Amino acid sequence: MKILFFTGKGGVGKSTMAASTAWQLSQKKRVLIVSLDPAHNLGDIFGVTIKDEKTPFTEGLSLKEVDLRKLSKEYLKREINVLTDTYRYLQTLNLDNYFSVLKYSPGIEEYALLTSIEKTIREENDFDFILFDTPPTGLTLRFLALPSITITWIDRLIQIRRTILEKRHTIHRLRGPLDDKETILDYKEEDDDVLKRLQRLNDNYQSLNAVLQGENSSVILVYNPDILSLRESGRLIEGLHDLNLPLRLLINNKVTQENEGMSNYVDQRMGQMARGIAIKRVSLSKVLLDGKENKLYDVEEDVASVFL
Amino acid sequence: MKFSIPDFFRQFFKGIDAVHRNNAAALTIFEVEELENIFALLLLGSFVGFPSPPTFLAVELLPFMEKELRILNQRAKDSSDMFAEMCGTIGID
Repeated sequence: MKILFFTGKGGVGKSTMAASTAWQLSQKKRVLIVSLDPAHNLGDIFGVTIKDEKTPFTEGLSLKEVDLRKLSKEYLKREINVLTDTYRYLQTLNLDNYFSVLKYSPGIEEYALLTSIEKTIREENDFDFILFDTPPTGLTLRFLALPSITITWIDRLIQIRRTILEKRHTIHRLRGPLDDKETILDYKEEDDDVLKRLQRLNDNYQSLNAVLQGENSSVILVYNPDILSLRESGRLIEGLHDLNLPLRLLINNKVTQENEGMSNYVDQRMGQMARGIAIKRVSLSKVLLDGKENKLYDVEEDVASVFL
Repeated sequence: MKFSIPDFFRQFFKGIDAVHRNNAAALTIFEVEELENIFALLLLGSFVGFPSPPTFLAVELLPFMEKELRILNQRAKDSSDMFAEMCGTIGID
């Protein structure tokens, strides 16, 4: 199974390019396209209404739009359940109200996003390709960076936790429980819930990172022939490089006869910033410019063969 | 309960033993509590303006952090008199 992420500045045509690639791939393979952008327009592009569940469009192509708000809510609900299970005596308090603030705290949305990606990759084994249409640069880089950042934090926390457990063990040997009523704190690594959970999280993120940085995953960067788009793409290329994520294709979208000079310049600069990465040009559809009816997902250029 | 001399001595020596064992472990106990305090601070430090890990990490571990949270609270209460705290730890009366 191959995983493709479409990234780029807002408005460059990520969704259209993702849809076009999905459409072309689906002629030969089984494809699922997932929109992670909170401002969904996958449904608009394919001209259908998409519910939260995956919707079959053709035999080879299924569509899905992820509801971020719902995801964050579900995630917090799960956590609150664990909390209430652990602290049964707190059930008289209205924990739901207390934790409802958490959904506004920074990071929850990115985390929900990441969880949704992980879940999709894990569960949707029937497909040959999964395409993710991501939100604009800032948010995308933040959630793609999340596994690495989290692993760094978890490593540190595991170290401290281990020291705590070692010291608790020393105390247990020196002092032992003074009477029968005294509660013995966990001092073995396999008994400590915090360490167990940290290790489980660590395993999850390591495997997710391995998938994201692996051979079967690709990042596709979409840009337009203009300076603003070039600058932001530069930042994105740097960000992807820092995170070790595999950039495999550059798509210069909305090329016309009028902006050909600019296109050449932008392509040349992009080629310098991302050496050895293929560049595809997609022209602005004439039919679209004329305002005539057109399948938005059906571009003339071949954008999919790179991945076949 | 009936008073018996052997029982009295047993309890007496048990008490002395407990005191010594407690004294031997006192510094390590203090150290562990400090570490637990740091652990909680690292995880939930955003409350006091520390750079903190991704929020969900705190949320994930929160259910198991009761003891650490108690220590964090206690430390915050005691922080106005750290000198007394240190004296207590080193054993200066």
